[in-house]
Amino acid sequence: MRNANAAKYATAGLLACLMGSTALAQDKPFSGITLTIASQNDQFAPVIAELAPKFEAETGATVKVDILDYGSLLTKTTADYIGDTEGYDLVTMDIVWAGEYAENGYSVELSELIERDADEIDVDDIYPNLMMGLGNYEGQQIAFPFAGYANVLAYNKTRLDAAGLEPPKTMEEFVAAAEKLTDPAAGLYGFVANGQKGPASAQDWMQYNSEMGGSIMSEDGMPTLNSDANVESLKVYRDLFRNAAPPGAAGYDWGGREESFRQGVAALMQTWSVGAPGYYNPEISKVVDDVAITTAPHPGDVAPSYGIGGWGMAINADVSPEEQEAAWAFIKWLTSPEIHKEFNMLGAGSFLRKSEMTDPDLMAKFPFLPVLAETFENGNYDYRPRIPEYPQIQDFLGTAVNSVLVGDADPKEALDAAQAQAEDLF
Amino acid sequence: MAFATRRKLFLAIMAVPVVAYVLVVGIWPLAQGIWYSLYDYNLIRPQRTKFAGLDNYIEIITDPVSRQALINTAIFTVGAVFFELLLGFALALSLWRDDRFNRLALALILIPVTITPLVVGLIFKGLLAADYGMIGYFLAQWGLTDPRGLLADQHAALATLIFIDVWEWTPLVALILLAGLKALPSDILEAASVDGATGFQKLRIIVIPLMLPAILLALILRTVDAFRVFDTVYVATGGGPGNATNTLMLHAVKQGLEFFNIGRASAIANLTLLIIALIAAGFVMMIRHADRKANGK
Repeated sequence: MRNANAAKYATAGLLACLMGSTALAQDKPFSGITLTIASQNDQFAPVIAELAPKFEAETGATVKVDILDYGSLLTKTTADYIGDTEGYDLVTMDIVWAGEYAENGYSVELSELIERDADEIDVDDIYPNLMMGLGNYEGQQIAFPFAGYANVLAYNKTRLDAAGLEPPKTMEEFVAAAEKLTDPAAGLYGFVANGQKGPASAQDWMQYNSEMGGSIMSEDGMPTLNSDANVESLKVYRDLFRNAAPPGAAGYDWGGREESFRQGVAALMQTWSVGAPGYYNPEISKVVDDVAITTAPHPGDVAPSYGIGGWGMAINADVSPEEQEAAWAFIKWLTSPEIHKEFNMLGAGSFLRKSEMTDPDLMAKFPFLPVLAETFENGNYDYRPRIPEYPQIQDFLGTAVNSVLVGDADPKEALDAAQAQAEDLF
Repeated sequence: MAFATRRKLFLAIMAVPVVAYVLVVGIWPLAQGIWYSLYDYNLIRPQRTKFAGLDNYIEIITDPVSRQALINTAIFTVGAVFFELLLGFALALSLWRDDRFNRLALALILIPVTITPLVVGLIFKGLLAADYGMIGYFLAQWGLTDPRGLLADQHAALATLIFIDVWEWTPLVALILLAGLKALPSDILEAASVDGATGFQKLRIIVIPLMLPAILLALILRTVDAFRVFDTVYVATGGGPGNATNTLMLHAVKQGLEFFNIGRASAIANLTLLIIALIAAGFVMMIRHADRKANGK
């Protein structure tokens, strides 16, 4: 009898334990799963790492953030995909890698998941240009956008006011203002952009080229690096460097040009919005009270085509279905209105949702949000072609533009050489 | 089993680990590298892989960018090694006398050797920048250099990189040569002094010929190393301005790790290996020749 009772109690106890653990498992559906993110070393990376414990508390999944520089990120993740080594569950994907991801099936196609969870995600609140540009390639959703960057014009309004100038709206006004604001004797310059060989000069010039009506790809997807419009825009870019940029700008990459603007040396700079919070930070900026941000210039007679860049989050197609589901849950969580706002309040500088542009807390901290809204609405994410050949084309252009800036070649000659190299890829 | 057979068997078994090691870390990767270099093979476009024969090698010679990388590497190597040997020898001679000052000086001049080349590149990039560099700013202000700075001037950038390499590696050459100097038999030098030889005569007739093995050792080490230069150039100029400082290794790394163009990267690496092997073989023959002349062997 006693034994029978003991057996009953034991069974009940066991059942209770099992039910308890089931309830726990339901509370934290991803207990025991570790998600490893390969993240670009941008402003968002430490913020993701800071928010990760919150996701773990809610779902049980541990999130590890491996923060890498651009080159290492590309090399390590490509090796991971090709070797099927499942080193990373989630990867931050630069907009220009989209073609490569789509062509090789590196990441999970997200369309069905987005459709399944559409209500939860509130897709309509995300800018369509970011949804397409930061993750969709020819109909395949190979990543989910989480960090939209807008190309904007940052300017030193104190110096513009002193010279009696309005913020330039067209490229012609931009060039005229840059030259007028240059006074080498006083160590003051009107303009700064990237001049360093490689991605730095290639990317900045492509932005100006697009604004001046140039394009490096034809409608049928072939390179047109040396088109007349491109040669013309490279002449303008070179002349801006000659007449209005600090002397060392031909060797600047993003760090150098941002520093030049923050120190008040250069008055006009087109840049990614992600750097904007830094101008308002007195610890690193001398222009806190002088800075203003507006939309990039564009020719008056054509519709604006502002540059869009940024990062999508891709799920490694090699990892197990359970890990893929957990990774998808993380993406939804990170990009949810509430967490994404917190993400930006912590300084990620990576906007995504329309609702963020009118959020009073964010507006108070980042007064330039309407400029971002305007840019995301009218943005162009394809001025840097998102094709598998992009890295090499960028390298050819990076060498050509830099050669022109240092006076080693004239624009036509340099772009002809780059075009010849690019044609070999197709 | 006869003793001789057992001995042979024992030796063969003892050699197995070495042979296996050489096969795994030496021959196999080399063979694979040669195999890849015969293909048009890109990791991010694997579906377009095709046999290319010697195309990758032909392209290195015909492509102006690769050709300039080869020329830049040769100029860099010859320039850097020449000045390092010259200055290193002068330094070694001045540190020859074994006193407290020289021992301290030797320890101090070795500091550059201990800094990793990547950091050296970053330090000089910062120092030489025309806008904010502690050296570059004044050089540009006084009109001694191009206003854009030494590393952004296509005529001066390669020479500047040679200077940086000389700054970093001359002490190592001095150390090797000093070891050679200290090993010289003192009785011969004393005998020469007694016979009334001048310092220059002693240097020309006794010191340099006896130092040849040490000089050639320094020459081989630095030539092979300079030919593979990568880190300093990568961070200081990225191969620019234009292609003025692009080197073979930089070109190979870019092809392999940036564009994932494995076929082309393997071809460049194989070509570099071949050139380095030829240079090393040339120096080894010179050592043998010098040895034969000095020792009559």
